[in-house]
Amino acid sequence: MATTQRTKIAKLDMTEIFENHGRSRDNLIPLLQEIQEHLDYLPPEAISRVADHLGLSENDVYGVATFYAQFRFHPPGRHRIKVCQGTACHVRGGGMVLDAISRKIGIVPGETSPDGNFSLERVACFGSCALPPVVVVDDTVYGRMTARKTEKLIEGLE
Amino acid sequence: MSQINLTIDGKSVAVEPGATVLEAARRAGVAVPTICDHKDLSPYGACRMCIVEIEGVRGFPTSCTTPAAEGMQVRTASPELESLRKRTMELMLSGHPNSCLVCPHREACESMRPKATKAGRSTRCGFCSNKEECDIRTMALEAGSRDLNLPTLYAAHNLERGDPFMDRDYNLCILCARCWRICEKIHGKPAISIINRGKDARVGTAFHKSHVHSGCTFCGSCIDICPTGTLTDRFARWYGKPDAKTPSACLLCPEGCALIAQTHSGKLVAATMTAFQSEASLCALGRFGMAQIVNASTRLLRPAIRENDEAFTVDWDTALDSAANGLKQHAGRVGILISAATTREERHLYARLAAGLNGRFAVVPTLPVDPLPAGQGTPLPEWLADIQSGKITALILGGDFLERELARSLDFLLVIDGLPVRVQDQADVVLPAALLAESAGTLRTAAGQIRSLARISRAPGQAKSEWEILRDIGQKLDIAEMHFDTLQDVTAAITDDAPPASFPGRPRQDVFSLPATYRGHLLADIIPALSAFGLPTTYDPSQEVQPTEGFELLEIRELVPNMHLLRIHAPQVAAHAKPGQFVILMARETSERAPFTLADWDAATGSITLIIEEVGRSSRELISLSQGARLAHVSGPLGQAFPVERKGTVVLGGGCYGIGAILPLARALKEAGNRVISVIEGSSAYLLYWEDKIRAVSDELRIATKDGTRGTYGGVQEVFQEIREREEDQGAAINMIVAVGCTFMMRMVSELTKPWDVSTFVALNPIMVDGTGMCGACRVSIHDETKFACIDGPFFDAHGVDWDELACRRGAYAREEVEALPQTVDLNTLMFPETAKQGCGCGG
Ligand code: SF4
Ligand code: SF4
Ligand code: SF4
Ligand code: FES
Ligand code: FES
Repeated sequence: MATTQRTKIAKLDMTEIFENHGRSRDNLIPLLQEIQEHLDYLPPEAISRVADHLGLSENDVYGVATFYAQFRFHPPGRHRIKVCQGTACHVRGGGMVLDAISRKIGIVPGETSPDGNFSLERVACFGSCALPPVVVVDDTVYGRMTARKTEKLIEGLE
Repeated sequence: MSQINLTIDGKSVAVEPGATVLEAARRAGVAVPTICDHKDLSPYGACRMCIVEIEGVRGFPTSCTTPAAEGMQVRTASPELESLRKRTMELMLSGHPNSCLVCPHREACESMRPKATKAGRSTRCGFCSNKEECDIRTMALEAGSRDLNLPTLYAAHNLERGDPFMDRDYNLCILCARCWRICEKIHGKPAISIINRGKDARVGTAFHKSHVHSGCTFCGSCIDICPTGTLTDRFARWYGKPDAKTPSACLLCPEGCALIAQTHSGKLVAATMTAFQSEASLCALGRFGMAQIVNASTRLLRPAIRENDEAFTVDWDTALDSAANGLKQHAGRVGILISAATTREERHLYARLAAGLNGRFAVVPTLPVDPLPAGQGTPLPEWLADIQSGKITALILGGDFLERELARSLDFLLVIDGLPVRVQDQADVVLPAALLAESAGTLRTAAGQIRSLARISRAPGQAKSEWEILRDIGQKLDIAEMHFDTLQDVTAAITDDAPPASFPGRPRQDVFSLPATYRGHLLADIIPALSAFGLPTTYDPSQEVQPTEGFELLEIRELVPNMHLLRIHAPQVAAHAKPGQFVILMARETSERAPFTLADWDAATGSITLIIEEVGRSSRELISLSQGARLAHVSGPLGQAFPVERKGTVVLGGGCYGIGAILPLARALKEAGNRVISVIEGSSAYLLYWEDKIRAVSDELRIATKDGTRGTYGGVQEVFQEIREREEDQGAAINMIVAVGCTFMMRMVSELTKPWDVSTFVALNPIMVDGTGMCGACRVSIHDETKFACIDGPFFDAHGVDWDELACRRGAYAREEVEALPQTVDLNTLMFPETAKQGCGCGG
């Protein structure tokens, strides 16, 4: 039911957002940003409304949106897992940790598990470079993670 | 402003303001390599192949995006530019299947098989339908491709074959963005875009929608502008590069678009736009549909008449006599009902015929789906009701417009059409007509323009141009007004034809408003793929009986790109199978019989395993099946078992599907006490499979790849050579060699081992058709004696094979196979499981 509710809000909020932006192409990124701020992600409907508003093809809007790592196309899960892929974390096995989580929940970064429990994101740097590799779950920072430790962590969340 | 003067490689040249350095170079006659640049697209600057050096400018600007300026001194060639371009090409090609470019056997291979194999995935040029016209390939070869450092990173994108008419294999995409740019140029709002970023960047649609729902109009321009084999026309690609292009026009709706007819061996294979411009765009039907209509398997081939309720085919003269006699008897009570999808000349002659017979005449317009009531119906003239009242007793029918019920009230029915009509068996005379690109003439567009139609496609069977049929009937009826010597005379006689009403749809902008019929025939019945656009069809997939009998497909998966493993329940075969034997499969009752070597079997569970490479019609049909499906026929085990004896050291070589085929041989030969050395070959490392399985039943496993990504650089023959040298060094010998793979590979092995005097066997089953010795397709000469691969083989003494004869036979067969392709209409609409899931709505 959560999704239906969200879509309803989506419709309300989006009208306002569109009213505040003109129809020139310059508004593309700001529109996408504001919509994402309100909905936490960009549903297909939002993309197609942005396209209509700016007279673009939704394929192009989607193309632009997917170019930026900041945009999400799936509603966030109940638990948002972010894995740092910054340099410090990367050299300490951040990639392996990401892969382990990916395998564990069966989704790739940018996706949300079908049961809505988890979403997975890849983040550039959390500024916790002293504790590599870093995983952030719902605003809690976990440092010095290993594949094994993250698996445990996720099991604890389930 | 006046012209701009600059020098390119020392040559002075003058160009208009706004021209780019690239244009100036071309003007000066200097060739600069380009990839993303295209004369019909604005500069993009993505590929960086066109870099130059400009005096006083830092770095290496791309000439396609740099405006020419007064006094510029440009250099297009230098060692730095050379090496940078080489790097660019390496980068581009490392993400693109490239093994043929670096393969040490390329020249020999290409001289033996110049045409591309009809593979599902192009894992190399030899499999790519773009091969004959590929700029990338030409450029790489010119640059000395074997010197390039080309690791292959196969992206493993799914094949996109769920949309009507186009196959997309983004594993070949080099991201030049030509497709997206042309789509935007022509349609304003492109149906595709570059999505994702960095290493995940690719061409795609919003949320991976199918093209049916992404705004695509199926104009095909992306296919025609793509420099690689990524985007292909599913129908035309099997023919290879068209051998003629002729300006003509489309008769399928009153828009009458101008087009370029693409033909191969005198057959229409596609129609493309006259220019990459919005105004010149074609709808899906013109671009793809026309070729499929003329090549339809249901075409009428011979004139026929019916006497005493029995229909039989007759010669043209007899048929025309019957037609004329029938019409004469009913003069004054004749109706003529034809389609608007006819030429001006044809309509003119029909009108004269109607006048000569003092009859009624009506032209049925072509309409899109919407104005029609669900499923069927075309606005027909009111005088048709006169058939019931007996005022009209004879009818000339030029399309599928008549209900069976009404036809019963007629005394005489003459059908002139190229496709069967519903009342076919009620017709007294049927005259097969040439359709569309098969006859010449002119058309008038709704906008009033007159366009010429070229006769460029051979009509099937004895079908004749409609205007000739009409003229001949007129002659038989002594209608003086119908006496014409040439088509030009008819054209000249037309003085007052009004343009047709415009088409109530925008087929070039909206794929959901295509014409629903052609000459009254439901188009989606002729081209099933069109039902994806909501076109009505009488075909009901739910009525299709899913076979519950037959051989269950227990497992199907793509082992490595284009190579599929099929495990089938066939207990009889599994119980009696011997190494080296094969089976014949038929996916459906109507399928072609296709032979496959047994790669493994298990008598206990009654299952057999086959490795099937998708390289043509039968294999494509087989691999489109899903787990749990039933195959109509599995016959076998067939052929002679391999003579498994204790020989000493045996070297086995398997390439492509042959890797699977050598597994049972290795196992049996090892069990018989031989020392078995197995060699497996793949074009590239990512195409190797079953390494562990084969290693487990061999004393030694060796690997060869054509691009050197693993093992020995080359094919099995290079490894055989290495093994022989090693054995000789140790005073040992090879006692027997067996090679299973493509004909080219087996021939190379044969030539290599002939001077060694080592008995060498090859499996000649790629050439069989029916597997019973009946069809003779698999005839081979072994030591000048005629043998049948299917019953005497598949294994033969390699040194006795007449390889040249075999090559000819395979060439001839390949042509037949292509001719046969369009006959199976469902192949053009085959739905593949992974794409079907995305719900393209093609009725899958
Ligand atoms: S597009 Fe086809 S022919 Fe061209 S290089 Fe690629 S595989 Fe070879
Ligand atoms: S077929 Fe035409 S409309 Fe469709 S993607 Fe290609 S260029 Fe665009
Ligand atoms: S699909 Fe073809 S035209 Fe489009 S970007 Fe790829 S290679 Fe270029
Ligand atoms: S042709 Fe100039 S960058 Fe591609
Ligand atoms: S396969 Fe036809 S005769 Fe052998």
